[in-house]
Amino acid sequence: MSVLPAPLAPTRPAFLTRTTPAARLVAGTAWLVASIITLDPIVPVRLSLAAIVALWLWSGLPLRRIPRRLAPLGFAMLSLTAFSILLSSANGDISLAAVAQIGPARITGPAISAGVAVGLRIVVIALTTLLVFGPSDLTRMADSLVQQWHFPDRFAYGTLAALRVAPFMAGDWITIGAARRLRGITPRSPVGRVREAGGRLMVMLVSSIRRAERLALAMDARGFDSGVRRTHFRELRMGWRDWLTITVALAVAAAALFVAR
Amino acid sequence: MKALAAYRPSTERFRWRTVDIVVVALLAVAFGVVFWAWGTYVWAWGSFLGPQTESLLTGVWLLPAVVCPLIVRRPGAALFGELVAAVVSALLGSVWGLDTLASGLLQGAGAEVVFLITMYRAWNPAIAILAAAGAGVGEAIHDLIVSYPGIDYAGRAAIGAAEIISAIVVVGIGGWLLVRALRRTGALQTFPSGA
Repeated sequence: MSVLPAPLAPTRPAFLTRTTPAARLVAGTAWLVASIITLDPIVPVRLSLAAIVALWLWSGLPLRRIPRRLAPLGFAMLSLTAFSILLSSANGDISLAAVAQIGPARITGPAISAGVAVGLRIVVIALTTLLVFGPSDLTRMADSLVQQWHFPDRFAYGTLAALRVAPFMAGDWITIGAARRLRGITPRSPVGRVREAGGRLMVMLVSSIRRAERLALAMDARGFDSGVRRTHFRELRMGWRDWLTITVALAVAAAALFVAR
Repeated sequence: MKALAAYRPSTERFRWRTVDIVVVALLAVAFGVVFWAWGTYVWAWGSFLGPQTESLLTGVWLLPAVVCPLIVRRPGAALFGELVAAVVSALLGSVWGLDTLASGLLQGAGAEVVFLITMYRAWNPAIAILAAAGAGVGEAIHDLIVSYPGIDYAGRAAIGAAEIISAIVVVGIGGWLLVRALRRTGALQTFPSGA
């Protein structure tokens, strides 16, 4: 899938690669919630630093590839911060001194600090996501959700099967485009390009549905829907590393929120 | 030939067959890729036009919440489709990462409630539009808390309204037309929606 970013996989065993995905989800959610419930910018700064340390020491991920992967973050962060500051309700408060005046808009101190907090939120979210999903693959994630949280197994493994055939869709996309060019469909205007992409998408969806039907038939032929109770090849249980991860994550979240500056 | 066997509406209306699960999952994966591409290449630029204008671009993120249930007509299809699409976009490196799971959950639930009220019996354009609006409400709740907490009341109302309008146009009307187009190709013959 050349058009899509390659998945970030751990290159060496590390502490977090030996934890179960369910435990990392709990830990990650704690940081997510901690960064969302406050408008104090120090909290996302502390959590981002903690996430960077964790990525560095315990994730096993190739650190050099992370900055490029996080590049789209810059856009969202800038625009969110800028508009949160510009449109903040604090700007209308006359009792607050204006820090700056941009055209008709007054900018106040609390508006800036809340805006920065909102912008940094996505940094925490992005780094935490790497810590949760990065250290193990999707098969393990499905195993963990089914065994530890009792997700319905047909849905978890059905989704996993769909993910396995997803790369073929990228191939379909290219083939369909080539076929359409051969028929003389070569749009030049921007509107034409959008319509062409829509037509390609339509054909791709039809072929995905067909592919999914064949896959389901093959799975049912092997008793996927037999109703027999499923046993597990890879047993996943909470270990000391999982409990430690959750405890430390909660402690860090609490410290980020409550330790005075 | 179980997966391709004729659908029996009265006895199996609430049971998910393997083919329902895999088709929803695969469509959701496709939408997840669209989510990521939309967020990275379109929304990222659109976001510089201000939150109200940007909110008109958010409808695309709700497509699975309406398209998946319209195709398979099973309880939970809105939630399942939206969640899988959210996970895929998070895996591809969407800016919102783990938080897409929260949005996916709220958006899917918003649409799911509408289908639940009809007891999964009504599948017309009006219900599609209502479900889209439901998903839009779920999205607005999330975004106003996570992305726009400090903005003044009027601004937040405008953002919420823009997201719901976008949902109705892109997902309610657009999603309905998409499913109709798919039905016309004959691709939905295994499903109640294509019979």
